[in-house]
Amino acid sequence: MRTLPFDPLLAAIAFPLASALVIASGLPKRWSVRLAYVAFAVPLLLALHTWWHFDASPKVAGYAFLTQYSTGLDAVGISLKLGLNGIAMPLFLLAGLVGFAAGLYALQSQAERLKLYLLLLLVMQGGLMGVFASVDVLFLYFFHELALIPTFIMVGVWGGRDRTYAAMKLTIYLTLGAMLSLAGLIAIYARSGANSFDLMALREHLARFPLDQALQGNLFGLLLVGLGVLVSLFPLHTWAPLGYGAAPSSNAMLHAGVLKKFGLYTLIQVAVPLLPAGHAAWASPLAWLAVIGNVLIIGFVTLAQRDLKQMIGYSSVMHMGYAFLGIATGTAVGVGGAVFLMVAHGLSVALLFLLATSVHHRTQTFALDEMGGLARPAPVLAAFLVAATFAGIGLPGFANFWGELAVFVALWQFSPAVTAVAVAGVVISAIYGLRALAQVCFGPATPRMEEIASRHPPVDLRWSERVPAVVLLTALLALGFWPRAISDPIHAALAAPATAAAAPSAR
Amino acid sequence: MSPALLASGVLLAPLAAAAVIAFGLRRAPGAATAVALLAAVLVAVGSLVLALGPARDFTASVELLRLGTFGLSLGLKFDDLAALLLAIVGIVGLCVHVFSVGYMREDPDRARYFGGLAIFMFSMLGIVFADSLLMLFIFWELVGFSSWLLINHHFQRTPAAEASKKAFIVNRVGDFGFLLGLVWCQAQFGTTQLDALAKAVDGGAVVAAGLPLLLFCGAVGKSAQLPLHVWLPDAMEGPTPVSALIHAATMVAAGIYLLCRIHFLMVPAALEVILWTGTITALYAALCAVTQRDIKKVLAYSTLSQLGYMVAAFGLGSLKVAHGDHHHLIAAGVGAAMFHLTTHAFFKALLFLGAGSVIHACHHEQDIFKMGGLARRLPVTFTTFTIGVLSLIGMPGLAGFFSKDAILYLAWAKHPGVFAVLALTAVLTAFYMVRLWRITFLGAARGEGAEHAHEGGPALTGPLILLAVLSVIGGYGWFYSGLLGGRFDGVIDSVVHPAGADHTLILLTSVAVLVAGALGAWLLYPAAGEDAVARRAPRLFGLLGGLQASFDRAYGAYVAKVQQRLAMLLNFLEQIFLAGLIVRGLAGVVGLLGLGARALHVGNANAYAYWFLLGLLALWAFAAGLLSF
Repeated sequence: MRTLPFDPLLAAIAFPLASALVIASGLPKRWSVRLAYVAFAVPLLLALHTWWHFDASPKVAGYAFLTQYSTGLDAVGISLKLGLNGIAMPLFLLAGLVGFAAGLYALQSQAERLKLYLLLLLVMQGGLMGVFASVDVLFLYFFHELALIPTFIMVGVWGGRDRTYAAMKLTIYLTLGAMLSLAGLIAIYARSGANSFDLMALREHLARFPLDQALQGNLFGLLLVGLGVLVSLFPLHTWAPLGYGAAPSSNAMLHAGVLKKFGLYTLIQVAVPLLPAGHAAWASPLAWLAVIGNVLIIGFVTLAQRDLKQMIGYSSVMHMGYAFLGIATGTAVGVGGAVFLMVAHGLSVALLFLLATSVHHRTQTFALDEMGGLARPAPVLAAFLVAATFAGIGLPGFANFWGELAVFVALWQFSPAVTAVAVAGVVISAIYGLRALAQVCFGPATPRMEEIASRHPPVDLRWSERVPAVVLLTALLALGFWPRAISDPIHAALAAPATAAAAPSAR
Repeated sequence: MSPALLASGVLLAPLAAAAVIAFGLRRAPGAATAVALLAAVLVAVGSLVLALGPARDFTASVELLRLGTFGLSLGLKFDDLAALLLAIVGIVGLCVHVFSVGYMREDPDRARYFGGLAIFMFSMLGIVFADSLLMLFIFWELVGFSSWLLINHHFQRTPAAEASKKAFIVNRVGDFGFLLGLVWCQAQFGTTQLDALAKAVDGGAVVAAGLPLLLFCGAVGKSAQLPLHVWLPDAMEGPTPVSALIHAATMVAAGIYLLCRIHFLMVPAALEVILWTGTITALYAALCAVTQRDIKKVLAYSTLSQLGYMVAAFGLGSLKVAHGDHHHLIAAGVGAAMFHLTTHAFFKALLFLGAGSVIHACHHEQDIFKMGGLARRLPVTFTTFTIGVLSLIGMPGLAGFFSKDAILYLAWAKHPGVFAVLALTAVLTAFYMVRLWRITFLGAARGEGAEHAHEGGPALTGPLILLAVLSVIGGYGWFYSGLLGGRFDGVIDSVVHPAGADHTLILLTSVAVLVAGALGAWLLYPAAGEDAVARRAPRLFGLLGGLQASFDRAYGAYVAKVQQRLAMLLNFLEQIFLAGLIVRGLAGVVGLLGLGARALHVGNANAYAYWFLLGLLALWAFAAGLLSF
């Protein structure tokens, strides 16, 4: 394997952050835009590099590209330790892909105060790369906060309808969720006695000296609530549709597509392996909550939505239910399916938010009742929307199908009744997906659309919008046709749980 | 070329064509047509080479996914059953492609149309070759998608958009069962590979009746059996060649193919359910067909009815046959169902393409009462259509006669009640087809379109002639054993034909029902501009119409009154209770404590930054041991 002369993970985190700093320090707009193009592309290229070389890379306890940087707090076990295992790598790649697409979409958006917009997105991007590259639990959390803060600001400044209320609600919920999660993570650190936030060390230590069952149950419950808020677990989800409805498109893409996965990711990487007894105690309640709440109730609520963006927001809440179900099973099939689904959903929901905004540019509305017949003036946009919708409802050939399938397979062994309800969700998502598609694209144009078209004749998807959409769609199709591109590493990471940890090479 | 390679080529050629059309030829309809046609020719040739060649049961497989204990491979299973369906898909597919070249010549969106056809061919071939239930399911969903795409071809028309949506969603309801059955299968046997499953069942594994019935749900959706049949008549919104290929000859037959693929999983209780589902569908759809005015709708209900025949045949199960001094069990249900599937594919594709030719000639008039007098104006269409009608209603000597007889005989041998219903269905079939045929083609022209009708050229008539020939010879034993070299004997040998007294009885019954139905229609329906029965017996007619509409009404009521209201109610609770009260309550608490109420003021970036830094500092301090809880 050819190695880069620098640490690809640190570079992927630092480059967007440094670019943000440069832009903040007064770079002219023209140059800021150019720098932003590079800064969004670099993490993607590095993520592709890690994906390509992942198999052949030397690994310690399943982690490749391990490096450790001192923070001056080594005494209490905090260091910036970066690395990717088979679960982190696909999500690192997801962050690169969606970040690049969201960045490109932002660059063509002609947003007001574009420099600030790009700056905040770059901070988000750096934070997101950091989340999935961190082996240290505290840094995992830190990078999440780093990516989260810009969300609040972006919703507040560039948000659409109800942005004040949405931003407030988002802040309250997500801050609360993050605080609870942090409390849980610190408690694990404090009670484990490992004197380290290093996930590898924690795993090894807790494998030998597990926490007592009751404590595990409490900690897992705490984390489930805290992280559950972040991933919109029913009934803690109400911030999500509102927030996404108000958020500017690139921000919604990054948040719904990538950042939201932090909660699931932490459950999978931290909570489940470190607190196995806690997971066992919570598995059944979690499964029922996810299937009745997220899948069934939110599925029906999604059916009632009359606003395209709200509908996408609710459908995203619904699909998170499947990821929770996979985690509840605790098996390699189910958890692996959840990871696969996280990647697939991240790509498809980002694509949907992107397209929804492009639709809005042409229809001047998100109200489904007012739209119609967009496929005639904008066939390419309609084709993308068709692809994104069918990806979202789990058509084979798109990535989402594999994730859902694996979750269902695992779920049957867990409980056939839960499986039956979960699979019923597949019908519900077909109904709202196709209904929205028909309302936006097909049928004759509504009078309102004709009136708008007479003032601004709708044009088809421009190339500047097409490129980010193509990036996401290509990834969805590639994983749909060749799921092993990421399922092999996921399988390896889950089939052989990491136990042996050795000191990584210090740089 | 090795057979596995050839099979892969046959499978992938249409996918490649679809990709080329979708990404490169969107605005070049001529080139798109050529590419799709080329793919169809390759598929047809490749299919025939494979199906008529000696190679069977070659294996090729590629692993697509492995997560924990769950692995998924796509592979090929090629036995006589697959070979038979492959040949049908190849031939009918080519006919429909050629016909479409003529039929869609004026359509500006034909690049999309041919792209859709190519995706369909790929998906359908995947079903044919599938070696596992999972692979079947994958391509099953993909044919559903291509069907959606093609029904929705004229997407600016609201009925087309609605019909495509309905087709996909109703199929999804069926697939709900299919997927559950699949997952059950995977859990119980650790695999969904057909060969491995058969081995496990042979080895004495117990199968609960629920498992095959869940899988059967998929067939109920795709093969449009009661109560999920409602999508098929609406699907006639698609271009007529699509109806011929997808909604008559191949895709809707996939449900029957699925059943035959999993016949070893069938337990008596499951077969009983399948039998009655098919029988009732056959009768119900035939009753519906009687009142239709739209030429395609008559054929659609006829397709439903014939699919019911096939499902019923499958449900009749195996037959004990005396062979010398010992008995042995023949999978007669599979044989009869597949045999009828084959002949039906030929004559129903013929009828639909004939209807397409008529519609094309009459400038897109579909009401048969506005046609008339087409026998003279469209001689080729008339002749071939007549052959199709005769084959469908079971005229002795034509393909449909043999396959229908095999089913009737099996019913007679196993279940007299079903036999009676199927015989009654056959009377109705003869009735509505002769009605359709006479009103459409005989008498005087009754519409603008019919007066100026003329044949549409060799692209339209050529496929009709080929299919007409197959509709005649497709039922004879020598056709399979001689002309086709006995390559499908694995299927054809399990078709049980009546012998001796049974033979006479079945023959007499078929002729009697044929004559009764045909004569009834001939006497009741003059070739006139209005429905004679509707005039003479309005109440009976109304009753039949009500019967036909009852399912749609019930589903409509469910969607509007139950589903949508539940959705609205839950949404209301969501907005008021969860979103409103709880978050306002939280905000109140926050405000009460006076904690950063100002900091939460939106848009104040500095405040966020300060709070963030403060929190970070506190964390750092804690972690560094400066603070302790």
